[in-house]
Amino acid sequence: MTDAIIIVSGLPRSGTSLMMQLLAAGGIPTLTDHIRTPDPDNPRGYYEFERVKKVKTDRTWLPDARGKAVKMVSQLLFDLPTDENYRVLFMERDLDEVLISQEKMLARLGRPAANRHELKQAFLWHLNRVHKWLLEQPNFAVLRVAYADLVTHPTEQIARVNAFLGERLDEQQAAAAVDPTLYRNRKTREET
Amino acid sequence: MPKVHIESALYERARKAADAIGYSSLEEFVAHCIENELKKLNIEEAEKHVTNQLRGLGYIE
Repeated sequence: MTDAIIIVSGLPRSGTSLMMQLLAAGGIPTLTDHIRTPDPDNPRGYYEFERVKKVKTDRTWLPDARGKAVKMVSQLLFDLPTDENYRVLFMERDLDEVLISQEKMLARLGRPAANRHELKQAFLWHLNRVHKWLLEQPNFAVLRVAYADLVTHPTEQIARVNAFLGERLDEQQAAAAVDPTLYRNRKTREET
Repeated sequence: MPKVHIESALYERARKAADAIGYSSLEEFVAHCIENELKKLNIEEAEKHVTNQLRGLGYIE
């Protein structure tokens, strides 16, 4: 299990950076390049590794990722080679919250937002496809973590994560990294 | 060329239907059926939406 690559995955704005932060705080080495610096969308940093975007053609970094955590959007999971073992922490968040947060990020980047309804349907289809595919992969173990639960009940969720990772995490340190004030774009009861 | 397996009974029904409708071959009929189903599901469109959004956000190239 210690040789497995820990993949923190999900849709952008689903809590993947938070998961990376708490893994790092809890003592799990992370593979990041700090190219994307903190900004208003992610004040504590993105914990990204640019080379994941080219994983289809450049896999030379994968051996160095063994035993470490690396962040990767769900669409890139399909490109991972079958000769490594992966433990995937798949972040899940209310899709409306994800879309609102993505729209704000696109606005800050000066890029146009797509039709929210069409995009929501597309993401639903995408997530269904990803989870179905993951179930069929013998070299992938998956733990789905709800962002809202992680923020509101960090102790319980971090214990789940720790069990999944083979008790390698300092749970107290990891829990200290969860800042509920960063749970923005939260859907209110009236919106549900 | 990829192959798919279907039950013999369904194969026979499809073959008869392809003949009756006037397709030149069973392959042509099956390909047409699949195209129609994919159009209904809008899978390619959904894939395009997801890819464009992730690219716009800077998460894929």
